[in-house]
Amino acid sequence: MKPVLSVEDLQGGWDELLVLDGISFQVTRGEVLAIVGKSGCGKSTLMHFLLGLLKPWKGRVLFKDEDIWSSPEALQKARTRWGVTFQSGALLGNLTLLENVILPLKEYTDISERELRIVAYSKLDTVGLADSADSYPLEVSGGMQKRAGLARAMALDPEVLFFDEPSAGLDPVTSGNLDELIKTINSSLGTTIVIVTHELTSIFAISDRVVMLDSDVHGIIAVGTAVELRDNSSDERVRAFFGRNLAAEKRGN
Amino acid sequence: MICTSTERDQLVNQEKLTFSGFTLSVHGVLEDYEIDSIRDFIEEYKRSIFNAGKLVLDFSNSPGIDSVAAAVLYGACKQFTRAGVRVRRTGTLPVIENLFETLAGFDSMPEPHKKRMSIRDYFENIGENVYEMGKTLYSLGHFFGDTLYAFMNLVLRPMKVRWSMVLYYMEESGVKAIPIIAILTWLLGLVLGYQAGFQLKELAAETLMPAMLGYIITWEIGPMLTAVLVAGRSGSAYAAEIGTMQVREEVDALRVMGFDVFSYLVTPKMIGLLCVMPFLVLLANFSGIFGGMLAGSLFLGLPPSTFISELGKALIPLDIYWGMLKSFIYAVIIANVGSFMGMRVRGGASAVGKATTAAVVLSIFMVIIADALLSLLFVHIRPGLSL
Repeated sequence: MKPVLSVEDLQGGWDELLVLDGISFQVTRGEVLAIVGKSGCGKSTLMHFLLGLLKPWKGRVLFKDEDIWSSPEALQKARTRWGVTFQSGALLGNLTLLENVILPLKEYTDISERELRIVAYSKLDTVGLADSADSYPLEVSGGMQKRAGLARAMALDPEVLFFDEPSAGLDPVTSGNLDELIKTINSSLGTTIVIVTHELTSIFAISDRVVMLDSDVHGIIAVGTAVELRDNSSDERVRAFFGRNLAAEKRGN
Repeated sequence: MICTSTERDQLVNQEKLTFSGFTLSVHGVLEDYEIDSIRDFIEEYKRSIFNAGKLVLDFSNSPGIDSVAAAVLYGACKQFTRAGVRVRRTGTLPVIENLFETLAGFDSMPEPHKKRMSIRDYFENIGENVYEMGKTLYSLGHFFGDTLYAFMNLVLRPMKVRWSMVLYYMEESGVKAIPIIAILTWLLGLVLGYQAGFQLKELAAETLMPAMLGYIITWEIGPMLTAVLVAGRSGSAYAAEIGTMQVREEVDALRVMGFDVFSYLVTPKMIGLLCVMPFLVLLANFSGIFGGMLAGSLFLGLPPSTFISELGKALIPLDIYWGMLKSFIYAVIIANVGSFMGMRVRGGASAVGKATTAAVVLSIFMVIIADALLSLLFVHIRPGLSL
């Protein structure tokens, strides 16, 4: 199947600090790809490169075979076709949840105010927040902020949805609900999903494939399904990462 | 913590520490709030310990010890050892023994070597700072360019301007600044009018005061004070607002949604300031001159009618317009520098604080430089000023 998103030999970092080097992988349509690794391994930095918030020093990020940095138009075009939920939700604090969801709709569609509200309500309803539409971000819980962020990310029916640490700061139940919601969006709408996380429960629950990063090599040390990496990896670092899950399961048993 | 005599008595009364012969026995758990009492207790028996030449710390009746209390005991023992006293512990549980061993392990680590700064380092530091300043100014120039580009795009498509935000910033930066600008410039006009008039009265030339005050207020004080106050009030607010948005990833969210952050965040602030600054300067001019008029009539016996007629003879419309024109440049500087500093925020709350301070300092610095350059230009433009 044709990749919707490709990374080719990417090298880059912050200012002069090299974080990632020689990164190459592809994401196929409808796939849920998890980018995992220990804290500080460059997961969020890779997300910044995928989203066009950082320009690679070397290599390319391709969205549907077009380099997102080839022209400002290419980057803009790609950005209208994907949605992002950030770790903190990143909702604009001076707008209500509904107004936050309306924001991208207003910018990129030419529909009436009433239609904007209807679409935005339906997106909030998808994430179970229609009743809190008129609340401001600071008036709702962290989990609700993330779900509202997801509703905003879904506003334009994106082809790719990016999630940066969706479970961070959430209790296991809320985190599990969010995982289910992500899986539902993926299966019902066929949306390609790229998720950055270090939560093993989420990785096993929703990912089709896993790309594992490591800070020592500034790059990828393993690619495969979560079960493959857990059971068959010969790399000590991979086993140590996924071993936490086995240990937890054994303790649970 | 300072130990009161009552606390010390309690410690002794509770008999957590007892001394007999050369044995210091610990009973129960020594806590961190008891460290002064521990020090006092050891001080009391110091001479006996030195005389005995040995000290046994008996922890047989102690199930544990607070780490701060342990550090105090360890320090005291170290002093005794240095003085030739043989110190040993007895009856210690592994948890206590481990704590003392950990303290000993870290104590044996070499002190961090403080590097002395050489002259070369000193000049390198200066060079680095100058380089960083150059880089900041380069980035600021780039930022100005991007804002100008976004502004020109909006001029061509005015419906794209977020007018609700422009009105919001006009109210926040303009309307709400009226009281402070009016009061301060009025007070300054009063003081300047009085001081100038007092000097001129000595020369029987107090009728020159209105002209002098008019020039000072309309050419410099009005526009400059307005710019400084707006930079302090609004420039810092812009930096804090955008800086907080950076920390909360809101700016990144706007970027990845494909929004032009310059059009969305910076230009509404700039347009808002461009709309209100000239009127704030006008207000500052009137207010300052009114203060001077009051000083003339109260202290110099200069009736308001004479003041106004003398002022009318001296000032020309260009004097007023020039201040208002200068305010456009100040508005661009303040809005851009404030937003630029906000955009540079990386990290947490402290970075936002630094950005607001930097925004005010750099705004005022640049306003003064712009004012100096514009004043040089004004000399050539205004009739009757050429040397």
